Amino acid sequence: MPSAIEVQGLSKEFGALRAVDDLSFEVAPGRVTGFLGPNGSGKTTTLRMLLGLVSITDGTATFGGRRYVELDHPIHHVGAVLEATSFHPSRRAEDHLKSVALGAGIPMARVGETLDLVGLTDVARRRVGKFSLGMRQRLQLATALLGDPEVLILDEPSNGLDPQGIQWLRTFIRHQASIGHSVLVSSHLLSEMEETVDDVVIVSHGKLVLQTTLADLAQQAGTSTGMRLRTPEMGRLRGILDAIPVGYVQTGDDTMSIAGATPEWLGPLAAQHQIVLYELVHDRGSLEDVFLSLTHGFDAADPNHMGAPAAPAATAAPAAPAAMPGGAT
Amino acid sequence: MIAIIRSEWMKLRTTAVPWVLTGIALIVNALLILVIFLTRQDFSTSGSPPGYTVPHTTQQLRNLVGSGFQGYLFALLLGTLIVTTEFRHKTVTTSFLVTPVRSLLVAGKLVFAAICGAVLAVIMLVATVIGGGLTLDARGGSFSAMVHQIPAVAPGMILVFALFAILGVGVGSVLTNQVAAIIVVLGWFIILEGILVSLVHGAERWVPTGAAIAASNLTRGHGVDFGLFKWWQGGLLMLFYGLAFAIVGSLILTRRDIT
Repeated sequence: MPSAIEVQGLSKEFGALRAVDDLSFEVAPGRVTGFLGPNGSGKTTTLRMLLGLVSITDGTATFGGRRYVELDHPIHHVGAVLEATSFHPSRRAEDHLKSVALGAGIPMARVGETLDLVGLTDVARRRVGKFSLGMRQRLQLATALLGDPEVLILDEPSNGLDPQGIQWLRTFIRHQASIGHSVLVSSHLLSEMEETVDDVVIVSHGKLVLQTTLADLAQQAGTSTGMRLRTPEMGRLRGILDAIPVGYVQTGDDTMSIAGATPEWLGPLAAQHQIVLYELVHDRGSLEDVFLSLTHGFDAADPNHMGAPAAPAATAAPAAPAAMPGGAT
Repeated sequence: MIAIIRSEWMKLRTTAVPWVLTGIALIVNALLILVIFLTRQDFSTSGSPPGYTVPHTTQQLRNLVGSGFQGYLFALLLGTLIVTTEFRHKTVTTSFLVTPVRSLLVAGKLVFAAICGAVLAVIMLVATVIGGGLTLDARGGSFSAMVHQIPAVAPGMILVFALFAILGVGVGSVLTNQVAAIIVVLGWFIILEGILVSLVHGAERWVPTGAAIAASNLTRGHGVDFGLFKWWQGGLLMLFYGLAFAIVGSLILTRRDIT
C-alpha cells in the first residue's frame, strides 16, 4: 500500500537559515503519526510545505505521489488544522464553513454535520471574534473535516484546548484512524501524544532524528535508570554502599539516589542489613525522557548525526539513560 | 471559477466591508444631491444660468452617480479590500488551501470584483435617480427627462465601476498590506494623479481617471471631454492597468511563503 504522505529529502531555507534540512519520512495509511520535535525544529515549516503554503527549496512532499497543488479539489483529500488565528473576527462560524464549502463544491448539509462533529452547533451563528482559543481550534478542525478527507494534518492541535478538549481530540484522532484515515499530528510534547499515536517522526533542528513506532520507543524508555530512597539510617547505608562499591548521590539529609540499581538488587540488600526505608522509588525513563534526550542530545554540529536517515537501532547512542533527568514513573 | 465566485461572495457579505462602503457611497451621493439641488431655486431649463449644467443632462446624472466621479473610488476600495482583508485576518491560508493555484484565486477575485463594481454602479444609479429625481421634481425640474437619460449613462457607469474594482484587486494583490494599499490607492487618486496631470502635458488621457472618464462615454459615441481617448480605448487602458497589477500580484503571491 502506498504511503499517505511521503516526504523525500525536503529542505527549506529562509535566507541563511536552514529551517528544514534534507528531511525524509513517510506516513502510513490508516495510522496516526506523531510529528515531534521542540519548538523551532521545523515542524510547522514542513507541514506548510506539504500543503503548498511555503515554497520548497529542495526535495518533494507528496500525498499518494501527488503534490498538494496537483490534487483535484485538495480539501476533499487533505484536511489541515494550522494556527488558530485565521478567521475573520466578524464572520459567523457557520458562514466561515459555508465560504469554504462553496469554494470546494461541498454540499451545504456538510456544514451542519461538521459543526455537530466538533460540538459547535450551539454557537454556529456566533461571530468567530467572540470565540475562545479552544473554540477556534474546533472550528479549524471542522474546516479540515468539511471535505471528509482521508488524510489529516494537525499542527499542534491541542494548543488552547482544556483537558476535556484534549481528551476529546485524542478520541477524535483515534476514531479517524479506526475508519482508515491517516493522521499526521505535530506536537512539542510527546507525553501529550503517547496515547494517540502509532508511529513517531522525531525532528530536531530541521533534521530527522528518528522514525519508528511508538511501541519501539516505549521499549527503549522502559529501561531502568536507578533507585531513589529515603532512610533515617543514612550513615549506615553509606557505609554498606561504600564497601560494595556502588555509585550513589546523597540528595538530601535522608535521601539518596543510586544509579543503575534495580529493586531486585536493592530490596534484598536493605533487608539483609536491616536498614529502615521510608520510601523506595524505581526510576524508569519515561517516553518524554527518551524524547527529550533524543531532541536535546541531538546536536546539529555533530557530524555523526547529520543527514543519515536514522534507523531505530541508531537511537541507542543519543538516548543514553545516564544523561536523563530522573523522571519518576 | 463559479465556485470561487460564490465563495468570495459568501466571504464578502459576511464582513462589514461591502455594507459600510455602499453605505458611505450612498451618504456621499445623497449629500452631493442635496448640495447641488437645494442651492438652486429653479431647475426649469430657461432659468438656468448659461454654462451651468442642469441636472437633466447626462453629464450631471453621470457625476451624481459617481458622487462627482470620486464615487468610483468606492468600487476601487471594494476591489482592494477583497484581497487585503484576507491577508489582514490571515484567512488567505484557508483560501489557498481550498484553491492552491494562487493565480486562479486572483482571477476569481478579479471576476467577482468586476461583478461587485457593476452591482455598486446599479445601486448608485437607482439611488441617484430616486433621490435626485424627487428633489428635481420638487424644484420644478423634469423627473422624466432625468429618467430618459438612464440608458445613456448606465452602461458607461457600470463598465467604469467594474474596471475600477478590477484595478482594486490588482493593486491589492501586489500590496497585500491593507493599510498600505488603501493609502496608496487614495493617495494616487486624490492627490498624486492630479499633480501628475498638471505637471506632464498630455498625461490626462493616460492616467486611470482619464481612461475611466473616456470609458464612461460608452454610449455617447463622440468624446465630449477634450483630450481623452475613445471610450473603448479608455476601457482597454483601464483593463490593462488592472490586469497588469493582477498579473504582477499573482507572480509575487505564487512565490510567497504563507507562514
